[in-house]
Amino acid sequence: MNTLSVKHLSIARKDGSPLLGPLTFNIEPGEIMTLMGVSGAGKSTVLNWLIGASQPMFEVNGEGWLGNTRIDTLATEERRIGILFQEDLLFPHFSVGDNLAYALPAATKGKAARRDAIETVLNSAGLKDFYHRDPATLSGGQRARVSLLRALIAEPQALLMDEPFSKLDTTLRQQFRQFVYDRVQARKIPTLLVTHDAEDIPAGGKVLELHAAEPSHA
Amino acid sequence: MAETLRQPVSSIALTPANKPKTETSKISVARLLAIAGVCLTLLPIVPGLLWVLWPAFNMDVWHALVTDGQFARALISTLSSAIGSTLLSLMAASLIAIWLYPGKGWALAQRQLPIFLAFPHIAFAIGIAFLIAPSGWLARGLANLLEWSSPPQWVSIRDPYAISLTITMAIKETWFLLWIMATLLGEQAISRQITLANSLGYSRRQVWISALLPQLLPRMGWPLVAVLAYSLSVVDMAVILGPSTPPTLAVISWQWLTDPDAMTQAKGSAAALCLMILLGLLIVLARALWWWIKRLYRDPTGIRKPGRIFKTRAVSGIPVFIPGWLALAILVLWSVAGGWFFPNLWPNSLSLKSWNSADFGPMLTALWIGMATVMISLPLTLAWLEWGSRKHHGWLYAPLILPSLPIAAAQYHVLLHLNLDSTAIGVIWSHLTWTFPYMVLVLVGPYYNFDNRYLCTAQALGHSHLNACLRIKWPMLMKPILAAMSVGFAVSVAQYLPTLFSGGGRFATVTTEAVALSAGSNRRVLAVQSILQTALPLCAFMLAILLTAWYSRNRQGLK
Repeated sequence: MNTLSVKHLSIARKDGSPLLGPLTFNIEPGEIMTLMGVSGAGKSTVLNWLIGASQPMFEVNGEGWLGNTRIDTLATEERRIGILFQEDLLFPHFSVGDNLAYALPAATKGKAARRDAIETVLNSAGLKDFYHRDPATLSGGQRARVSLLRALIAEPQALLMDEPFSKLDTTLRQQFRQFVYDRVQARKIPTLLVTHDAEDIPAGGKVLELHAAEPSHA
Repeated sequence: MAETLRQPVSSIALTPANKPKTETSKISVARLLAIAGVCLTLLPIVPGLLWVLWPAFNMDVWHALVTDGQFARALISTLSSAIGSTLLSLMAASLIAIWLYPGKGWALAQRQLPIFLAFPHIAFAIGIAFLIAPSGWLARGLANLLEWSSPPQWVSIRDPYAISLTITMAIKETWFLLWIMATLLGEQAISRQITLANSLGYSRRQVWISALLPQLLPRMGWPLVAVLAYSLSVVDMAVILGPSTPPTLAVISWQWLTDPDAMTQAKGSAAALCLMILLGLLIVLARALWWWIKRLYRDPTGIRKPGRIFKTRAVSGIPVFIPGWLALAILVLWSVAGGWFFPNLWPNSLSLKSWNSADFGPMLTALWIGMATVMISLPLTLAWLEWGSRKHHGWLYAPLILPSLPIAAAQYHVLLHLNLDSTAIGVIWSHLTWTFPYMVLVLVGPYYNFDNRYLCTAQALGHSHLNACLRIKWPMLMKPILAAMSVGFAVSVAQYLPTLFSGGGRFATVTTEAVALSAGSNRRVLAVQSILQTALPLCAFMLAILLTAWYSRNRQGLK
């Protein structure tokens, strides 16, 4: 795995008033860096820029690198960066298995092989026999796990997480957090976590705190 | 403890150089395609309109128009029927909403609404004609009471004052406005205000008049313009129910535009332009009226008028559609009637003779034209919503709020210049002008409300934008997409003027056939064609509902 680097990132609103930056940081393979800050400080904007979602409200400058590849000029689908949102966003018209199959790279060929790969992943997460289930019939914790499995089975080179634990209740949050951190660290994926909750910060992890820029007084 | 790296953020100078490209070239190609679709369907109408209206820019033509013996009375019946039906439908829809919302009656009305939205204007007009004609159900009922032996001498259809036309259009548009109101009232923010204002001590009726209507009316502005434009320029309904000596301005304009004589044609152009000017003037007038009404709402007095405890039963949702059900019933009854002599309320005998000898050709023609139109509109609609410009979105709706007569004539001129008049391609293209905007209109709400993080997730998994749309976004939007397709189909089937103009009279659909037959005297054949005209859109809506249910049968998340 490669290091995820952000160089000289600065974000301004469309009217020209600066929102944040310049920001430079590196996330090593297997490291989970936490991005904190009050709402409106630009956390989501950083994530959206890294993933390549269009943001007509902002002017963004800077470079994003995965190892020796510059990624911020690539299309979202070419970046090989996975993302987890607050909601699980399982595709409701697919079964659980189809959700994973849509994420599994085409390099795994053949119906049987693909099915095997997905069953293995489901088994590893305690979701045996869930292949044909309707995502809407799963519990919140199960859905959260499937959404992480979906992100990981696509073999991402980096992972972004936008408050992925905030919708879960306290016990579930604890479990799912451990579930995520174990897998991310085992696969050595550089991970950027955006959160409000200081409890989400993994032991020994780096934290970057954003402060809201003062609105410019003309 | 976590090692914290706090980095205060200060203002910095932004360098516009080295700005990374966030949009790839692929997206702009898709966007070009989306815009090209719009240009192909809507832009050619602009030069077409110039061709049609050009002869009207001549004072002699206007002089001939104004001094024409038919003009003054045609203008009056046009104005009275257009303004009358628009105001009546607005009043009726408001009163029904005040009376029924919120309650079980409103819910029952909502459930019947789709049937009557799908009920074509023309079939409804023919049903009403059957009801109120001197030999219709109304006269038969009275004849039984008053012991008449022959039909009365009244002029209840094609009356010189366009009263039957006005009322029929008003009823039909009431349902449309009720539907618009229902979508607005469905919003949480508005429905909660009733409870809030009730808690302040205002009665339900007061809340409606003082708080809800002033919010709803401005948002119903464009739908009202569409209603006004429709009633100003309607030709098909006016031929069936409107006055004939002289007919309404739209009908005269249409007759003149299809006249071989150049001067008569020019007068037709002037009349068409006149319709557009009237629309503009009436909009300005209505805005002024609204500005004045709004002043009445200033400085509330705080007077409370406690009302009775409000309880309506579901049954009260039925009267809203009585004219519709009656019109449907009489059409069905005439299509299976054997002999049916005057004062009898029920046919002397029932037979399937009219159905056995029915001509299904017009239905098949309408079917394939409608299907082809929807199949072309759908990719255009999806491409526009996904890659088109949100900023210039409003222009798309222009055909819906402009009188259709000049547009249909404009299309004909464009096709004439391209040597495509009287061809299937020409007819389908002419229908696109209305089906495309209507499909966008139906789909735009669900489309813009779609959580695009699903799309982002799919792309982050390595799929292209197009693939993510095809596999994720559009399948997830299957329900509104099917609804939009059925609306598009219904709109295509209902087209009268474009089919006639662009098709050069060579494409007989259920719609053109029903209008043509309405001049004759064979009620049974007319009833059969009217039912077929109603059946097509109704079947499309039912198919959409069934397909949606089937598609989401194993997926709760789609329901």
